[in-house]
Amino acid sequence: MALYNRESRLSEAIMSHPSLIPVVNRLGIRLGVGDGNIGEVCSGCGIDSDFFLSVINTFLDEEYFPANASGTFSIAKTVDYLRKTNNFYLMVQLPNIDRHFASLIERSGVDNNIELLRKFYQDMRSQLTECLRHDEEVLFPALVDGVSGKIEFTSGYYEVEEKLHDLLYFFVEHLTGKYDLNLCTAVVTAVFSLEKDICQNNRIRNRILLPIIESLQTS
Amino acid sequence: MSEKRCISIIGLSPLKSWGMRALLRESWREKVESFSTFKEFFPYAEKMHAFIVSADVYACNIDFFLPKRQKTLMVSKTADYKGEVAGLNIVSDHWDLPEIKEKVDQFLSGIDYIPESKGELSSRETEVLRLIASGKINKEIADALCISVNTVITHRKNLSSKLGIKSASGLSLYAMMNGII
Repeated sequence: MALYNRESRLSEAIMSHPSLIPVVNRLGIRLGVGDGNIGEVCSGCGIDSDFFLSVINTFLDEEYFPANASGTFSIAKTVDYLRKTNNFYLMVQLPNIDRHFASLIERSGVDNNIELLRKFYQDMRSQLTECLRHDEEVLFPALVDGVSGKIEFTSGYYEVEEKLHDLLYFFVEHLTGKYDLNLCTAVVTAVFSLEKDICQNNRIRNRILLPIIESLQTS
Repeated sequence: MSEKRCISIIGLSPLKSWGMRALLRESWREKVESFSTFKEFFPYAEKMHAFIVSADVYACNIDFFLPKRQKTLMVSKTADYKGEVAGLNIVSDHWDLPEIKEKVDQFLSGIDYIPESKGELSSRETEVLRLIASGKINKEIADALCISVNTVITHRKNLSSKLGIKSASGLSLYAMMNGII
């Protein structure tokens, strides 16, 4: 995949990859971006274009590793981006799946195994919520305050990613009985969107945040 | 539908061959064929999935078995092998039964299987799945089945690969949905 650079048009990048919409929002850019290139749009919004490019390229490209993340990016910006990402999970995506699941169960009766799948989802949800709490209460304050010593970096997000994959797999291969087709599609689409976002965000945590933490610990 | 997978036992004495079949029955639900010589075995070679051979047969037909070493278990008469020499799978008939069972189990779990159907599990994999679903960790599963933790990890990888499920809680849900627990 070709990487984006300062000269790439932001609107073209978003049109090619709509999953970038929440990402550019978290970085401080709202839709209605005009026809400017990434350098111009970032400059107009007061955003560090190197950081912006590293985040979107890491988000989109599995093979991409940003150069010298620990030396280039500020902790405050990285934490701000991750905090907005976490809030998006907590305030938008999880409630969205909750609503769809509740409607699906309400409209589909009991002659199916959807309640089992909801229980599996709820276990995953608790684990994700715990990861988000750990970030907010332990990781982010330690990073922002520059706490010396070991900074705990939870691996729980990878387990969440696996469970989301499994939840989709159970819907695709093992769903049985009668159910409302449209509401089921709404649940699966919402879960798929969360899984993709968490998977891509794990790359950002690994390739941008982790080098910053490691450099803090060795300094 | 693919053909049934088959393990061939080659060059073992009737008694050892019978003992090996008994061990295989614990983890391998598909076919096992015994041949007293390599010559007798060779016409069927292409249909065989894995090989358990005497050291003599192995040594005399090394050109055949060496490229297939991951699918070959050599039965040695020497006592001091520790199970793997230069990437070969070796079991010694001097070992205690639990040691032999452990090695055979490890060999079977490591075979690069060709699934007949995606979800088909061996009886040992089903046992591991049941124990995972009951909340046991790898060490507890290893103790319960008298196998090493590495063998448990190999079974878990095979389960994930066969079922397409990555998490322990996903495996538990699968076990529940399919009446395994």
